[in-house]
Amino acid sequence: MPRNNRLVFFALILVTVVAAILGILSSPAAASASVSVPPKIISASPYTGMLSGWGGETISVTFEPATRNGRPDPLVENRCDLWVNGVLAKGVRRAVSEAPYGSTIQFSNFPSVPKGTANFHVVLKTKSGQKAEKSWSFAATGEKVPGLINPGLMREWSGYIVRGIGWTLYITVISAVLACVFGLIGALGRLMKTMTFRAAWKRHHSWAYMAGHTLRMIPYWLATFYASIFRGTPLLLQIYLIYYALPAFIDYMRVHSSIWDRVGYPGAIVSGIAALSLNYGAYLSEVFRGGIQSIPKGQTEAASALGMSRWLNLRLIVLPQAFRVVTPTMGNYFISLIKDTSLLSVIAVPEILKRAQLVGGMFYDYLSPLLVAAIIYWGLTIFFNFWQGKLERRLHRDRARA
Amino acid sequence: MTAREPDAIPRLPVDPPASDEGALVRIENLHKSFGELEVLRGVSLEVHGGEVVVLLGPSGSGKSTLLRCINFLEESQRGSITVGATTVKCGGHGRAHYESEHEVRLQCGMVFQDFNLFPHLSVLENIIAAPRHVTGSSKEEASRKAHELLEKVGLADRADYFPSQISGGQKQRAAIARALAMDPQLMLFDEPTSALDPELIGDVLGVMKDLALSGMTMIVVTHEMGFASDVADRCIFMDGGVFVEEGPPEELLFHPKEERTKQFLRHILPKPGGEESPSNGAK
Repeated sequence: MPRNNRLVFFALILVTVVAAILGILSSPAAASASVSVPPKIISASPYTGMLSGWGGETISVTFEPATRNGRPDPLVENRCDLWVNGVLAKGVRRAVSEAPYGSTIQFSNFPSVPKGTANFHVVLKTKSGQKAEKSWSFAATGEKVPGLINPGLMREWSGYIVRGIGWTLYITVISAVLACVFGLIGALGRLMKTMTFRAAWKRHHSWAYMAGHTLRMIPYWLATFYASIFRGTPLLLQIYLIYYALPAFIDYMRVHSSIWDRVGYPGAIVSGIAALSLNYGAYLSEVFRGGIQSIPKGQTEAASALGMSRWLNLRLIVLPQAFRVVTPTMGNYFISLIKDTSLLSVIAVPEILKRAQLVGGMFYDYLSPLLVAAIIYWGLTIFFNFWQGKLERRLHRDRARA
Repeated sequence: MTAREPDAIPRLPVDPPASDEGALVRIENLHKSFGELEVLRGVSLEVHGGEVVVLLGPSGSGKSTLLRCINFLEESQRGSITVGATTVKCGGHGRAHYESEHEVRLQCGMVFQDFNLFPHLSVLENIIAAPRHVTGSSKEEASRKAHELLEKVGLADRADYFPSQISGGQKQRAAIARALAMDPQLMLFDEPTSALDPELIGDVLGVMKDLALSGMTMIVVTHEMGFASDVADRCIFMDGGVFVEEGPPEELLFHPKEERTKQFLRHILPKPGGEESPSNGAK
C-alpha cells in the first residue's frame, strides 16, 4: 500500500505541474502585456512626381491601422498633428477614412503656403497613445490655391487624362462598327415577318407552306428577342454581366468539355466593346427598321419591275436611301455611344473617366479632374457632330444643286 | 349598282377564239382579290407583238391591278400569265415558280404613275442600275446605251441631274428610258400622265407614240382619249373586274355598244361621238 500511495502522490504532483505550465502559457493575462501593434505610415502625399509644387492641396497620409490586445486601436483625429517647416499647422481640417485594407488621414484647408521647400512632419496618435511619425520634403509654390478649382492640378494632370481619348475612341469606333452590323442584321430579321400565321393560312391553305412560313419566322423571333433583351436591361448591368458572368460561364463549360480550355476570359476592353456594341446594335436595329420601312413601296416595286432580286433591291435601292434617312438618328446614337464608353470605368478600362477618377483619388480633389474629363467629352462630341454634318450633306448630294 | 353584279355584265368568252402563235402576251382567266374584295374576276387577254392596247375604265375597275399582275407586283390567286415563252400559273410558290416570275419580269418594262425614280441616283445611274446589276453589262456598255435612250426621250442634257432637279415630264421620260434599258418585249404603262401638269403631258405622250411607232408592244392604262384614238390598235373597257367591251378605238370610243361604256365615256370625252348624244334616261 505505501508503495501505491507514493505512486499516486508523484502522479498528482506531475499532473499539477503540467497543468500549471499549460495554464501559464494559455493565460490571457500573461499575453496582454506584450501584444501591441503601433500604426505604420506607408506613404504620404504630395510625393515626387505628383505636382511640380505644393500649393496647399490636401495632404494625405496612408497608414496601417494600429491594434492593441488584438483589438483595433483607432486614430484620434484632433491629436494627430502636422508641422510645415517646423510650424504646427493650426486650424487644419482633419479627416480619417478607413477601409478594410488600410486607412488614410487627410489634412486640408491650410491657412498659408511657404515658398521654396516645405518640410512636412506628421505625428499620428491612437486612442491608447501609440504613435507613428514621418518627415518628408516637397517643393512649395508659395501661393495658396485660391478656390474650388485647382489650375495647377489641371495643368499637370490633364495630359494623363487626355491620353484616355485613345481608349475611348478605340472602343467607340469598334463598337460603332459592330453595332451597325448587329443593327442591320437585327433590322433585317425584324423585317422578315411578311405576314401573320392567320394570313398565311388564309392565303395558301397548305401545311407545307405553313411549315416553311414557321422556319422563315425564326429570324424575326430571334431579332425581336435580341432587341427586347438588350433594350430592356440597363447597359451598366450588361457590362457587369459580360465582364463577371462570362468567366463563370466559361469555367462551368470547362467542366464538361476540354474545348473550353482554349477559350480565355474576356478582358475588360473586349467585354466593354461586346456590351456596348450589342446594346447599341439593339437600338440601331429599330432605327434601321424604321428607316427601311420609311422608303416608299413604289421604290421597291420599280426595282422589282426592273428585275432586281430582293437582295439587289435592298443593296442598291432600299439601304442607300434608308441610310440617308437614319443618319441624323444614328449620329445621335453615336454621340451617346462616345459618352457611354465612360461606363466602362467601372470595369477599370483606362479611358477618360477612369483616369479622372484616379487623379481625383490621388489628390482628394475630384472637381478639377472631372471638369477636365467633361471638357474632353464635350470636345469629342462637337468634333463628331461636325463630321456628321459633312456626311449628311454628302449623302443628300441631290439637294445640293437645285 | 346593277352593273356591278356579275350576271348583269356580259362577259367576253373565257377562251378567246382563234389564238394564233403570234401572241406575245396571253392571260387566261385571271382572278385577283384583296381580302374579301374581288378586283379581277376572270380576265383573259391576248396581245400580239407590236400591238398597242389601251385599258380604259373607272377607278376601281381593276385596270391598274391587271397591269401590276402581269409583272407580278401583285400576286393573283388563279389563272395563268404567259409572256413570250414563259408561262406562270398564278397562286404558286417555290423556287421554280419565283424563277419563272423573274423571267416574265425581265421581259416587261413598267412605267408608273408617280415615276418611282430612285432619288439617290442621278438620271444616268437610274438607267444603268438594272442593266449593270441584273443583266451584268459593263458600266461603259450600259452608259453608252443609256445615253442613246436619253437622246431618244429628249433628255440628253439631263444625264447627271438628280430626279429632284428635273420636272415631272422629264422624270417620266427618264422612267421610260430606265424601263427601256432592260430591252423589254412588252411595256406596261400605268397612268403615266396622271401625275403631270397638263402642259407636260404632251412630251411624255410624244415619247410613247414614238415608241409605239417603233413597233413596241404596249399595254397602257390611261385617261388620255386622244392618245387612245391616235395610237391604240385596240381599246378595252373594264369595269368591276371584267372586260366589258373590246374593240378598235374608233369603234369603242365613238360608237360603244354597251350602256356602261357609254356612261363612262360621257364623263371622259368632251363631245361623246357625233350624233350619239346622251339621252337623259340613260341611267
